[in-house]
This record gives sequence, structure tokens and C-alpha cells, in this order.
Amino acid sequence: MIDLGGAKLDLWKEIFGDENIRHCFTCGRCIAGCPASEARNPLRIRSLVRKVLLGLEDELLDDDTPWSCVTCTRCEEMCPMGVRPFEVGLAVRKWQCANDETRIPPAIVDLYTRGYSMPVGANPDLREELGLERELPLITSDPELHEKWKRVLMSVKLIKDNDYMFGE
Amino acid sequence: MQYGLFLGCNMPAHRPDIERSIRATLTDLHVDFVDVDGYVCCPGFGTFPAVDQDAQLVTNAWNYAIAEEKGIDLITQCGSCYSSMKLGRATLLEKEGTKDRINKLLAVGDKKYEGRANMRHMIDLLYSEVGPERIREAIKTPLTGARIVVQYPCHTRFPSELVGFDESSGRPDRLRKLVEALGATVETYSLEYGCCGGSGGFHKTSAAEAESFTKRKYEAIRDETECEAIVGSCITCVMYMDRVQKLISTEEEKFSYPVFDYNQLLALCMGYPPSQVARISVEPREAFIQKYFG
Ligand code: SF4
Ligand code: SF4
Repeated sequence: MIDLGGAKLDLWKEIFGDENIRHCFTCGRCIAGCPASEARNPLRIRSLVRKVLLGLEDELLDDDTPWSCVTCTRCEEMCPMGVRPFEVGLAVRKWQCANDETRIPPAIVDLYTRGYSMPVGANPDLREELGLERELPLITSDPELHEKWKRVLMSVKLIKDNDYMFGE
Repeated sequence: MQYGLFLGCNMPAHRPDIERSIRATLTDLHVDFVDVDGYVCCPGFGTFPAVDQDAQLVTNAWNYAIAEEKGIDLITQCGSCYSSMKLGRATLLEKEGTKDRINKLLAVGDKKYEGRANMRHMIDLLYSEVGPERIREAIKTPLTGARIVVQYPCHTRFPSELVGFDESSGRPDRLRKLVEALGATVETYSLEYGCCGGSGGFHKTSAAEAESFTKRKYEAIRDETECEAIVGSCITCVMYMDRVQKLISTEEEKFSYPVFDYNQLLALCMGYPPSQVARISVEPREAFIQKYFG
């Protein structure tokens, strides 16, 4: 039995504003081909959608399973009701981050400080050997543009609220 | 028609030989392209899309704004870049008030996205704009007799109404036809249309489970095909399908199929040296290259 005592019935609006989520009729097509349903702590994408609709706030805050999604987007194609389960999973991650800053992946700091999640531009010698230009026109190649990029990101509320993460 | 070559993060950081093959082959095929000066991470699904919607969309819009200043569309090989940019664009254009809200944020950096610039995937560009016929004519050494298994990138298939370009998302065939244009035979098998399992958080949270997921794919390839090489057109698929083989191999059974990006194979068929266009991999590719390109 699911205990609905602590349920927050409007939670779906807070997590995922799209009305379509209410059309879920638990058919389970979304989970049929889901690779992450095989994760160690299985992502049960249908149940995740249910939890959002039922407003199971505490359970959802502690739920690590959306972070195992492989982002293949199969579930979106499978869903006959336009629920967009993959987007629901991302929305749960966002909502968790908004409620618990320790959830925020540190990788986003790299997007601010160097523009990329990987060390792009760190292999000029290899590039030359491959017959490529040594340098790419990266955001860091243009300090003025990079400053603008940082200012844009800092104008986003969540980034500003967590500016200490970015060394600002 | 000019395009902005959107390299993403993984390719220039880890597999610049694929970048080399893309630049070489597009030039030879007379596709007009330029670099996207000042582009940033698409953003990948594990970054802003997992954290905050405005941060996600303003990043998509930043990249589009740069393309729009040049009056061009973007092309990418990376499935995640493609999907992040396509899904982001749909939200920006279709969800009431979103574009205006994001443009207010962009204005802080003197950028603006009107909604014109779009993103295309390499397979789509090669198939629809160049076409298998011109590819067939452009190659010097066909891959006659080679048996190839194709990995179709999920991010270019689902959801089909937002990202799709194949006629059927369930049974895509454009990448197969592009490989066939090189003279190779494409082998079909039961898990042909399955995910590689390498993207997102699956392998990060559940390495053993993710590896056994992909091992089933490799066992099907082993049992049902005479595969000599695997071809993808997504940096994640290509890197993961290559890297995972050591992880799923045991004392008794080693998996060691050469894995190529499509443009790499095309570049080899056009006569470019492997030391430039197919230099970096985990599984050795020399024997395959030797057999078909001497
Ligand atoms: S496929 Fe759609 S309608 Fe069916 S359970 Fe999943 S989210 Fe609900
Ligand atoms: S996108 Fe995520 S939740 Fe949906 S099928 Fe793929 S792994 Fe499962």
C-alpha cells in the first residue's frame, strides 16, 4: 500500500508544469524498452510519473533513480498519451536540485569557467599531427565573449543563488 | 547553404581524429561549413538539463544565436548535442513566453535568438543533402565485401516528431544506406535497433548492469552476424561501443570489433591516411584497415 497521508496533490505542477502528465493511465509502455530499468537501483519510469502525480514529495526527494536514465528518449516515443516521461525524469532531477543543492552536478561549473564539460582545446600538438588547426575558436579564445557568457549564466536565478559554486 | 560545424565537447577533447575526418569529407563533398566561434556545451543532459530549465535553454539559445548571427544552421555528429539542441529549440519556440524570457537573459550578453537557426544531424545532412549517389562517386576505395554492423543513435530517433529524420524511428535505415554507399554489406541482427547503453547516467550509477546490457548486444552480433566492424554516427555510441568491449571480455571470450564513426570510414574510402582520420581507439583497427585499404 502507498501511504497517501503526506501527499501533496499539486506537486506535479511544481515539478512538471505540463498538463499532459495527468493523462498517464499507467499502461507501462514507457518502461517496456527502458535500458535504465536494468540499473542497479532500477529506474521505473512509469512509477516515477505516478509518484509525481500522487504528490509523494518525501519519496521523490530521496529518489536517485532518475539519475540513471541513459537519455535514449525511447519512453517518449512509446508513450501513447504524450506524457513525455523522459522530460518528467529530467524535471524531477531539476526539482531535487532546487530543493537540495548537494544534488547539483559539479560538471556545470565547467560550463561556466571554460564553456565545455570536457577539456576542449587541451590537445594542440595532437591536432596539428592530425592535420587540424592547432586552436579552435572556443569561448575561452575570446575573453570578452567569455565574460558575456558568464554574465548571461549569472543572470539565471538558480546559478546566481548558488554562485559560490562558481567561485563568484 | 552554409552550415556551422558544432563539435560539442567529446569529439575535440577525445577523438579529434573524427573531427579531422568530418572536415576532410565534408570539404570533398562540397558541403560549405564554418566553425561556430564562441560556441559552448550544448548543454549535455547531465549538466543544466538536470539542474535548471532557464540555464538549459539559455545555453541552447546562446549556440543558436551565434549561428543566427551568421545566418546559418548547425550540424553535429554528437547525438546528445543534436537532441539537447532540438528538444531545447522546441521548448523555446513552442512554449508560450519561453523565447522572450530566455532572450531577456541572453540580452545581458548582447545575444538574441529569433528562432530561425536550427540543428541538423550528420546522418541527415549526408543522406538528404549529399545523398548516397554522390558519396558513391566520391570514394576511391570501396569497402567491397566488408561486413558492417550499424549502431543507430537513439538521440536521432526519439521522440520522432521532434528529432526524427528517418522514415521509421523503429527501423531507421539512413545510416545503413550511407554505409552501403561505401560498397559494404550491412548485417542485420536481433538487437540492431537497441540502445548502446553508454549515454547519460546508466553506466555511471550501474557499471556492471550497463555492461551486461551492452554485452547482450555484442553476443547477438557474435551469434547472428559475420561483423568485421561497427559503424556509428554519434560520439557517445562510438566511444562507448569501443571502450566497453574490454569491460565485457573474459578470459574465455574476448570481444574486439573495430569501431568507426561513419565519416572516418568515408574518409578512409576517400584515401585519407588512417594516421589522421582513424588514429584513436581502444580496440585495434589496423587489421581491418590493412585488409580494405592496404
Ligand atoms: S507510457 Fe505514458 S501513459 Fe503509459 S505509463 Fe508511461 S507515461 Fe503513463
Ligand atoms: S530516456 Fe531514460 S527513462 Fe526513458 S527509456 Fe531511455 S533510459 Fe528509460
